[in-house]
Amino acid sequence: MTDDYSGVSGMQHEEALLFEHAHEAATPISLPGIDAELPDALNGFRRSRQAGIPGLSEPESVRHFVRLSQWNHSIETGFYPLGSCTMKYNPRVNEQLARLPGLAQLHPDQPEESVQGVLELLYELQQWLGEITGLAHVTLTPAAGAHGELAGIMMIRAYHDARGDRRRRTVLVPDSAHGTNPASAALAGMQTIEIKSAANGRIDLDELRSRLNDEVAALMLTNPNTTGMFESDIAEICRLVHEAGGLVYGDGANLNALVGVARPGDMGIDCLHINVHKTFSTPHGGGGPGTGPVAVNDTLAPFLPVPKLVRENNTIRIVHRDERSIGSIFGSIGQTGVLLRATAYIAAFGRDALHRIAEDAVLNANYILARLKDAYHVPFPGLCKHECLLTDEKQERHGVKTLDIAKRLIDLGFHPMTVYFPLIVHGAMLIEPTESESRETIDRFCDAMLEIARQCEAGDTEALHQAPLMPIRRRLDETLAARKPVLVWPED
Amino acid sequence: MLDRIGVDSIRDLFADIPADFHLQPGSLKLPRALHEAGIVRKFTRAAAANRHAGDTRCFLGGGTYHHFVPAVVDYVISRGEFLTAYTPYQPEIAQGTLQALFEFQTMIARLTGMEVANASMYDAATGVAEAALMARRITRRQRVVMAGSVNSRYRDVTRNYLARLDGETVEVPCAKFATDPDAVIAALDGDTACVIIQFPDFHGHVFDVAPLRAACDARGILLVIAFSDAALFGELTPPGELGADIAVGSGQSLGVPMGFGGPHIGLFACRQKFVRQMPGRVCGMTRDRDGKRGFVLTLSTREQHIRREKATSNICSNQGLMCTANATYLSLMGDQGLAAVARRSIAALARLTGHLPAGVEAAAGARAHETVLSFADRETRDRFLAIALQRDIFAGIPLEHFEPDTEPRHLLVSTTEMIEAGDIDDYHAALQEALL
Repeated sequence: MTDDYSGVSGMQHEEALLFEHAHEAATPISLPGIDAELPDALNGFRRSRQAGIPGLSEPESVRHFVRLSQWNHSIETGFYPLGSCTMKYNPRVNEQLARLPGLAQLHPDQPEESVQGVLELLYELQQWLGEITGLAHVTLTPAAGAHGELAGIMMIRAYHDARGDRRRRTVLVPDSAHGTNPASAALAGMQTIEIKSAANGRIDLDELRSRLNDEVAALMLTNPNTTGMFESDIAEICRLVHEAGGLVYGDGANLNALVGVARPGDMGIDCLHINVHKTFSTPHGGGGPGTGPVAVNDTLAPFLPVPKLVRENNTIRIVHRDERSIGSIFGSIGQTGVLLRATAYIAAFGRDALHRIAEDAVLNANYILARLKDAYHVPFPGLCKHECLLTDEKQERHGVKTLDIAKRLIDLGFHPMTVYFPLIVHGAMLIEPTESESRETIDRFCDAMLEIARQCEAGDTEALHQAPLMPIRRRLDETLAARKPVLVWPED
Repeated sequence: MLDRIGVDSIRDLFADIPADFHLQPGSLKLPRALHEAGIVRKFTRAAAANRHAGDTRCFLGGGTYHHFVPAVVDYVISRGEFLTAYTPYQPEIAQGTLQALFEFQTMIARLTGMEVANASMYDAATGVAEAALMARRITRRQRVVMAGSVNSRYRDVTRNYLARLDGETVEVPCAKFATDPDAVIAALDGDTACVIIQFPDFHGHVFDVAPLRAACDARGILLVIAFSDAALFGELTPPGELGADIAVGSGQSLGVPMGFGGPHIGLFACRQKFVRQMPGRVCGMTRDRDGKRGFVLTLSTREQHIRREKATSNICSNQGLMCTANATYLSLMGDQGLAAVARRSIAALARLTGHLPAGVEAAAGARAHETVLSFADRETRDRFLAIALQRDIFAGIPLEHFEPDTEPRHLLVSTTEMIEAGDIDDYHAALQEALL
């Protein structure tokens, strides 16, 4: 066992559930406001019994959640090379800025003239994202990448409908795509057809040609795709789709490979969502919040969702109604706190340095690929972009699977890569280091991967099957959890 | 590193991108890079250009509320271990997030009086839309009925989500800023999948849900109860006790700042028997290899990464960090604290509407912490808003911002425990001056 595993020390606490804390606070929390009984008119509308929410004292609550936090791996704890997730460092100053009372304490329905400061920042972000993607018109509203996909497909559908082309209800989705792509298309009332990838992991142009017809509304495309490879035929792909009357939707999950270096809009993509929680470093928060602004070209601009931010003279206005718009997709203008962090992040790079994000991310990924390509099977050889794809083909001969490798990495002090995705290769391991990491960190990760490969070769695989041994819990029984779901703690 | 890769320059790594598409470094129309101090200055100035609830008296509601947030909540969600973790796909090193999610789900289920809750939706509006979709799946019917007294933004999003799918979506007009259960019942038929009401409704109205529940039972219709302020259920009858099959609403009130519209959190709870039709992620309890209790994301066969176009929802990223915020807030409040928040929020409105000067009228009927004030005309109302703002009072939201067809002379007004007695005196004084 190496001694650099970050989550283990002599002080690793077990921590009971909140509901098992016997000690409720002696006095309830002190609150502002007007203390009075419920008005008579509401007497018939009292809850019949207390909810059963335990009230802890402040120190007990802090200790509970701080202890829980210590069971987590995070970007601030260590390397987090999850492919397609872009786990880069989240600058601390952005946390400070988003918490300024003049930004955090704003009600979304304050008079417009009382919120011009925040509107200015949001409008600026809108312009910047348009410039960075080469797609000039931007909505900041979608709450996550998948929500952006939904908005994008709604716009594409509205575009065809506006031309009287109501037969176009098919969306083509490569088999390497994120699962959200077909799910979002289905939610927008579209049929999806899967496009099989070519042997090189890229879109098969012949397969694409054979699927294009006058019922195709769009191709959804991730570029670089989820194998980490750039679709070099992108111009031809877009030309074919456009010629057949369709539009090209870009999944911007992998924008970190391109930012400042090349623009999806220049390549012929009509519509792109941006995962600001990936490319623009807003923290993932253990699952969210994300935010998925969508950038579109002139063709789709009339259909952007409401509300829209519009500059009139020196004032930014929020426009709530627009006849051609796809309408409303979220309860507010967007996840402002997330968007502001993205604004701050882009401001720090500016035009001088934005391209270094993609350059360093791609350099790091190719370096990992170069170091690991002999020890692990590389299904699609060649340059990668911001992430590299390996499989467990060589290790499987020794009875070791991707899952074992992933769990062993935990014992060696690293968060595993993305496993078993993309689905088009067996035993996928997708590694995305991001630009944040030093060469030293990346070398230590590669050393760990090489040690695992050596152990497999040597038949010394017991530690791999047993892993992880070091964290607070060992492998968890997911079948048990799914068979008889226990989603809440039973009441006493 | 380049040597190891076998290329001469970083740009060689981009050789697979056609040369036509390569940007000249520095050519983007963006400002020059700012150092950290410059960014802080830029944001501080922008923040100073706004008026905010921290130094005013905020009577704005409509789905977003200025409740008290203990400092501990922000401390907990600022910890890098919660803040900068990904979705807990490797549960052995994400037990912190997972246990917090399990505690969150438990407390949301208890607060709403429901059997189970998921690990969040984006917001209340998208949550209501997902509830409608879920009800359609469960009942295999397509017709959805919404009371017009549901927040118009929830209705807009729901109508929009359903617009591209087969089936009818019906909205029952709302009169007198109140919910009329009989009118809603009249819109139900045997093809209806669900009926969506809000409790308390968008205008703060509190009403008897029992007849509607009975009408749903008679026709096999699911009852979806939306809510905009979960804290009220510290004292008021929760959706579960009202007979909801699905309860969906906002958790922003539970420790999340208003933040100009987000990030907030959508709460989603339902009956246990419906869990396999639920949208979104859920955390479940299990055991590890050594038999120790632990938690994992579960029921993933409903989700997009497995089921793709047949998934129950396209949702992937959710509002995870806000679940931790809600859980922390709830642990500090407990039953007693929550009941006090609810009572104080309601008491402030009762005090406000109890002594209104002539010329302004509050909507009739039982109200929780939100109501509609009506003026003779737009001019009077807007004069009041301007006078109030001069006195650091955000006095309400012009109702036409939500309901464009309404006469522009109404004001949606909401109160929380952040409103003190003196604030209401000042509110009344501003009213009196405007109505002179």
